[in-house]
Amino acid sequence: MSKTKKIVLGVFAFYALVFVALILIYGITQHKNSEFQIQNEFKLVNWVSLGVLSINRAVVYLILATILTIGTMFWISRRMQARPNRVQTAVEVIYSLMRDNISRGNMPDSMAAKWFPFLGTLFLFIWYCNLIGYLPLPTNSEEKFTLFGAHIPAFALYAATANISVPLVLALVVFVAFNWVGVRAQGPLGYLKSLVPSGVGGVGAFVLGILEGVSTLMRLLSLTIRLWANIFSGHIIILFMTGGLAVILGLQALGWFALPAGIIIYLFELGLVATLQAFIFATLAAIYIGGAASHH
Amino acid sequence: MPAVSHLPVAASSGSFLITPNVGLMIWTLLLFAISMYILGRWVFPRISEALDRRQHAIEESIDHAERVRHQADEMLEEYRERLREARAQAEQIIERARKSAEVRERETMEETQKRREQLMEQTRRDIESETRRAIQEIRREVADLTVMATEKVTRKVLDEEDQRRLIEEALGDLDFSALAPDGDRD
Repeated sequence: MSKTKKIVLGVFAFYALVFVALILIYGITQHKNSEFQIQNEFKLVNWVSLGVLSINRAVVYLILATILTIGTMFWISRRMQARPNRVQTAVEVIYSLMRDNISRGNMPDSMAAKWFPFLGTLFLFIWYCNLIGYLPLPTNSEEKFTLFGAHIPAFALYAATANISVPLVLALVVFVAFNWVGVRAQGPLGYLKSLVPSGVGGVGAFVLGILEGVSTLMRLLSLTIRLWANIFSGHIIILFMTGGLAVILGLQALGWFALPAGIIIYLFELGLVATLQAFIFATLAAIYIGGAASHH
Repeated sequence: MPAVSHLPVAASSGSFLITPNVGLMIWTLLLFAISMYILGRWVFPRISEALDRRQHAIEESIDHAERVRHQADEMLEEYRERLREARAQAEQIIERARKSAEVRERETMEETQKRREQLMEQTRRDIESETRRAIQEIRREVADLTVMATEKVTRKVLDEEDQRRLIEEALGDLDFSALAPDGDRD
């Protein structure tokens, strides 16, 4: 038997053993859960009261993401060398992705030079927001644990982008940006006219104009919901699979049973979704802005 | 795992999940703007500059490598050309040396031949003259002896004139051919 096979079998045996043990200890009994509400994991509790600008969990995550975005990028930009180390190589790959794929791929070079800071920041900001969402941080102020007498918020996974306000405001910025570009490039009337495909007149033009107008508005919603729903659903599934379900249903063994799925989804979210959603958001923003300037 | 103490939480509806929070939106906008400002002003230009510099350096080193290769090719061609020339020259030199050696050899041989012939000629001439001289000597001796003998026999002195005539007659009958070189009879 090969070593890998032994390890796999060992892990599987351990998993099965614990599962059986949990059933034997607790039985397949259900007790009613009344206090745990899964949506409360995403509730914003004001920690520092500053009126409308009160600092809550999402704000802390945003600040953290901002500090990390600026900090890491700034730190690396001061240490750019002719012979890059691994970190620099990675940053260069990301930079090339932002500059060549996201920006230059979707708009003329002159425009890309102008819009790159916006699109690059958009990508990095969302990316960092998504990524730190997979770090367990002591931010769940609803559940606390006591360590050496101090009440510390429970460690939790949370992401600013799992809150609809964050994607919404970023999508709004993109929405304003591409409409502004369109109006500037073609004039207010020209931009409105450009919504109607050329060669269509009369009632058809009116109907198509309304449809295109709605579809332009839908960009705002689709940008918002795509990012928010992906991150939110990812977090909720991880939450369910790594204990949430067991707590809600009051089935201890189920928590253990679902744990592997939780781990797999966690890795999937961290490795793919976090990056992919940031990339898609920034790329779509570039497509909308580039498209508004050079309309059909 | 530390003990988790559940705080009593009022059951709340989920509608807050999709209700935009104005404060959070302002925070997002603010933090995004700050990020964009700092990244756009200090970070992206630096990275871009470094990448451009590297790009430039790479292009330059490729160009340089190309130039060096070109030079090397030229040099190689030049050396080959020189080598060809040198080889041709060497062949020429060898050919010339061979020819001159042949000429020299021939000349030497001819000279030796001539010299030998000269020497032999000289020797022959010496021998001839020596022989001739010896014969003259012998003749004179013989004549003197004959005169003396005749005087003794006849007790009379012939005058010089008679004697000479008589001797010449007598000697004319003698054969000296054995002494003289071939066909050189006196």
